[in-house]
Amino acid sequence: MIRVENLHKRFGDNEVLTGIDENIEKGEVVVIIGPSGSGKSTFLRCLNLLEVPDEGKVFLDDQQINAPGVDVNKVRQKMGMVFQHFNLFPHLTVRENITLAPVKLGKMNKEQADAKAMELLQMVGLTDKADSYPSQLSGGQKQRIAIVRSLAMEPEVMLFDEPTSALDPEMVGEVLDVMRDLAESGMTMVVVTHEMGFAREVGSRLFFMDQGCIMEQGVPAEVFANPQNDRTKQFLSKVL
Amino acid sequence: MSGLVCSLAGTGTRAWLLYAENPGFWQKFQDDFYKCFIKDNRYQMLLGGIGVTIKVSLLSALLGVIIGFIIAVFNLSNSRILRTIGKIYTDVIRGTPSVTQLMIIYFVIFATIKWSKWIIASIAFGINSGAYVSEIIRAGILSVDKGQTEAGRSLGLNASQTMTNIIIPQAITNIFPALCNEFITLIKETAIVGYVGLVDIQKAGDFIKSATYKAFMPLIGTAVIYFVMIKVLTLLLDKAEKRMRKSAMR
Repeated sequence: MIRVENLHKRFGDNEVLTGIDENIEKGEVVVIIGPSGSGKSTFLRCLNLLEVPDEGKVFLDDQQINAPGVDVNKVRQKMGMVFQHFNLFPHLTVRENITLAPVKLGKMNKEQADAKAMELLQMVGLTDKADSYPSQLSGGQKQRIAIVRSLAMEPEVMLFDEPTSALDPEMVGEVLDVMRDLAESGMTMVVVTHEMGFAREVGSRLFFMDQGCIMEQGVPAEVFANPQNDRTKQFLSKVL
Repeated sequence: MSGLVCSLAGTGTRAWLLYAENPGFWQKFQDDFYKCFIKDNRYQMLLGGIGVTIKVSLLSALLGVIIGFIIAVFNLSNSRILRTIGKIYTDVIRGTPSVTQLMIIYFVIFATIKWSKWIIASIAFGINSGAYVSEIIRAGILSVDKGQTEAGRSLGLNASQTMTNIIIPQAITNIFPALCNEFITLIKETAIVGYVGLVDIQKAGDFIKSATYKAFMPLIGTAVIYFVMIKVLTLLLDKAEKRMRKSAMR
């Protein structure tokens, strides 16, 4: 479903991604772990072109999306993204946050979008917050709304960039629960995370990234139990 | 400190006594007032001047906001050519006196175009104000967290949909106070329209001064009119700002 070939990204002299070739199939839940500065987030952001790769190709459903002339906005409608800092729109209510994109992009009319919003809010247990503003919500609630906002566009893939890193510990669970439900429903997901428990239980495949490339990958439980790469061993010994 | 206050109060009292107990002075004040503002319907010239000042201020503020917004978009765009145009514009406007700009636009650029004087003057002030407004708007837009743009774009909104639906509504609360300030500066700036033959408040006061050979009364009168106008405006704008903050703080 997502394929990258020889992906390179530089910020000035700093080469953040040093050539990644990878293929992610429909229905996979890929979890990406690694030390900070290893290029995890940049890799994720290259997938929906929030960062434009300097070299290499990114494919979604066999269409090269970083080719000239491709309508990036159309591509992004198929890829939801959830950010570490939620990035809800503070001047809009929860309902308006969720319905803005589907309505503005002509995917649904106002009534359909409202119905969809309520259905999704039901799923995450926040129907009573529909008319609240983001400033009135807790961190965990904000992140659940942010997930719902992305889902309202009915994406084929969901990208998560450290979705629980900015949360108070007692709120991490409620967000991970939503993500787990989403994975069980068959959504294709790519998740950059520091939650090793979540990676082990929910991930179908794990990437360990360091120094701008994927050093090791495999079934999460196996990588955790029996890492092959020295850098992986070192990293896991610190975080487990 | 208290000594200074005492002596100031003393001076004030003395002046007042001089005023109150000296019928000649009081009489002269009344005479001057009559001569400068009432005789020959001179107040009408000032009233006309107020009209001109208001007309020019409003039109140039409107033009300034429009031009400022366009230049801000230029300055924030990805195109180097547009950014350069924006930069040159701001540099030239900030680097030359507004009187010079006004006269160039009136006597050079619009030399052969027969539009109303006040419209040409408003264009000049609008062009001038636009440079400052563009910096205000640019700063306001940059003050909105970058994550907001990313969230908008990641949903599939294009750059201008993100700008109008997400960034601008948040930037306005930050921009508004500075924009009010710029408007007030602009009103005072228009006091130079006399240079191109418009009779605004300042020029009307000037005419009265020439006609009566009195300086005090017309000049103080001019100052008082500007002050009252701007004070009233400030109060209104403060109220509007408070209301805006309230609705933004939900």
